[in-house]
Amino acid sequence: METTTTIEPKQKVYFDLTTSPHLHSKWTTSKVMWFVVAALVPSIAAALTFFGWTQIFIIITAVVFAVGTEVSIQVIRKKQITWFDGSAALTGLLLALTLPPNFSLSATAIGSVVAIGLGKQIFGGLGYNIFNPALVGRAFLQAAFPVQITTWLKPNFAVDSVTSATPLAAFKFDKIFTDTVPMAIGNVGGSLGETSAIAVLIGGILLIAVGIVNWRIPLSMILGMFLFGGMFWLINPQNPTPIFHIFAGSFLFGAMFMATDWVTSPITNKGMWVFGLGISLVLVVIRIYGGLPEGVMYSILFMNGFVPLINRYTRPTIFGAVKEEKKK
Amino acid sequence: MKVTHIIATLTLIGIIAGGSLSLVNNWAAPKIALNQKAETERAIFLVHLDGKRYEEIKNTGFEVYKVFNQADSSVGYSLVYAGNGFQGKIKIMIGLTEDLNKITSIEILEQSETPGLGTKILEAPYKNQYKELTPTPSIKLVKGVEPSNPNEVKAITGATISSRSVVAIVNEGVKRLKELQIKGALK
Amino acid sequence: MKKRVTLLKEFTKGLWEINPTFKQILGMCPTLAVTVSAINGIAMALATTFVLFFSSLLISLIRKWIPNQVRIASYIVIIATFVTIVDLVMKAQFVELSKALGPFIPLIVVNCIILGRAEAFASKNNPLRSMLDALGNGAGFLISLFVLGSIREIIGSRTILGYQVMPNGFEPWLIMILPAGAFLTLGLLMGLANLYTERKKNLEREALIAQYKRVGREEITDEVLKEAGV
Repeated sequence: METTTTIEPKQKVYFDLTTSPHLHSKWTTSKVMWFVVAALVPSIAAALTFFGWTQIFIIITAVVFAVGTEVSIQVIRKKQITWFDGSAALTGLLLALTLPPNFSLSATAIGSVVAIGLGKQIFGGLGYNIFNPALVGRAFLQAAFPVQITTWLKPNFAVDSVTSATPLAAFKFDKIFTDTVPMAIGNVGGSLGETSAIAVLIGGILLIAVGIVNWRIPLSMILGMFLFGGMFWLINPQNPTPIFHIFAGSFLFGAMFMATDWVTSPITNKGMWVFGLGISLVLVVIRIYGGLPEGVMYSILFMNGFVPLINRYTRPTIFGAVKEEKKK
Repeated sequence: MKVTHIIATLTLIGIIAGGSLSLVNNWAAPKIALNQKAETERAIFLVHLDGKRYEEIKNTGFEVYKVFNQADSSVGYSLVYAGNGFQGKIKIMIGLTEDLNKITSIEILEQSETPGLGTKILEAPYKNQYKELTPTPSIKLVKGVEPSNPNEVKAITGATISSRSVVAIVNEGVKRLKELQIKGALK
Repeated sequence: MKKRVTLLKEFTKGLWEINPTFKQILGMCPTLAVTVSAINGIAMALATTFVLFFSSLLISLIRKWIPNQVRIASYIVIIATFVTIVDLVMKAQFVELSKALGPFIPLIVVNCIILGRAEAFASKNNPLRSMLDALGNGAGFLISLFVLGSIREIIGSRTILGYQVMPNGFEPWLIMILPAGAFLTLGLLMGLANLYTERKKNLEREALIAQYKRVGREEITDEVLKEAGV
């Protein structure tokens, strides 16, 4: 390297200071968090419509325990209390929406405590966690209470032919395909927030429009689904079509609200493409070959683990830097 | 000098270790063989409660035993059949009547299913469904509803794959045994 | 030269100060794999202690006679012999237990606690001290496995040592008897152990600083504190 350093060895370097220009964002953390909560309102409304208003208790329990855990840990560790930034409430809300209807409230509370405790605070709080906290909570519940978390409720307004099994479970165990229209509306079995594709899309597009969610992640996931899902479908038409993959289960919910979490997704544009395509590839493999019908949670958590690596290899060239000459 | 010391040390340790192991093995080997035999016997008679004596049928490719009762007349067959479960191998002892048209009972010998979930295949509510089950034309797994036909077994909620694996293994084992019967190898 | 350690200390240090699981972080494989229940943890720890005790004793007895170049090979042969004896005896006499512990009994051979104590202690100390050290480490291992196994058994299957302690209304957390539960429990326990050690160290340090201030010692540098051992 030909660079010359001008810093004196003894001189103190302030790493936290950068030279101007400084970018000011109109978005503060709490504004973003509460905005995402607002974008989830259509999904919550759909959940209450299809599975009954009592499902609100699951949501309330999850949020209360998430915020409670955050505050308790911050009090014990004598840190600044930050519940009002909305991040804990959002984690609780996201967790609740990934749970099946009529899920036990005590288990919901356990999930919230694990999500905030083991998913977030153990790493040092907001911004330090590797894995999406809501999904950590959900993964814990999946392993702890596998029967309850796969016990689905038949949605209201269901026609007789609709069973309580989710479209993915129906495909996995009985090779039955569900039509796209009920899956788009949400009149099928599934987790609270995931069944109505339309409600999820309304919230997601809102977030993309105001610039909270980077469009690259959802788009790369959907394109990835067409690519990899389509590939498996072309090889063997017994496999589900890409359209089925996209509308079934929590794919769209994951694409819009889970994979796009600021803390646990890549920061570079190129990295976001790698991340989204990776999630889709892992997901298709899990759905077709795995033991469980659904794999959005695992595929996002899996790719979360790769985010530091993705960031490292997709780091953009610093402005003004000269390309390194190729070695002979 | 140094090298001989090294060789001598290792040789001596090896001889002593080998010697003591062979002593222990002399004592333990018959007991271990006895334990294994007792276990097989226990399982054979668990699927044939009235069984008192058994004979192994050789050259079948898997373990088959012909079981006799107190009066020394044949009560049927016990066979050991294995296949893939959710996470690993499941090995099942299947008891069949003489005409191979009724299962007397089954006993899971080995499994590595998910604890608390897939392991419910070991528990009475699932296992006892195989008592008096008719495996012809083949056993069918039903989900969510009560079995209505004599060849139906109800799946365990949340452990469909484990339940289905057991059904598949039993079906396959019975099929193989029937083939042997047709060939006349069950004498 | 060497600090004189009392015989009692040789035993008790294994319980906490150099606890194999929480301080030396050795023998993680059996720790994580067999602790689905308290009884499995106890059986595993007892089998390990048996091997540890006899191999430490034997290695200590012949420590001056084994050439340095082949010491590891000799230790492993000795350890493997004892492990095979344990394995055969368990298969012959305790069929159920040997089934539950499965391949982890033969794997005691590669449990780092045993080779670790042989290399670090028994090969340098007399038989009496080696025995006490082995027993102490074994007891420390027993305590950790029992605690880990109990927690996982209580939450994962509502029982402890086979007796039901949680009400029927308590839905067992299946994750606790899966490998993931082992990692979570061990991680949290280790975190608590570190927290406790850190707190204790800080308290000792503060006490010493206060004492120095009382006797009017002016400069309290890191070197001074290091010398005092805190």
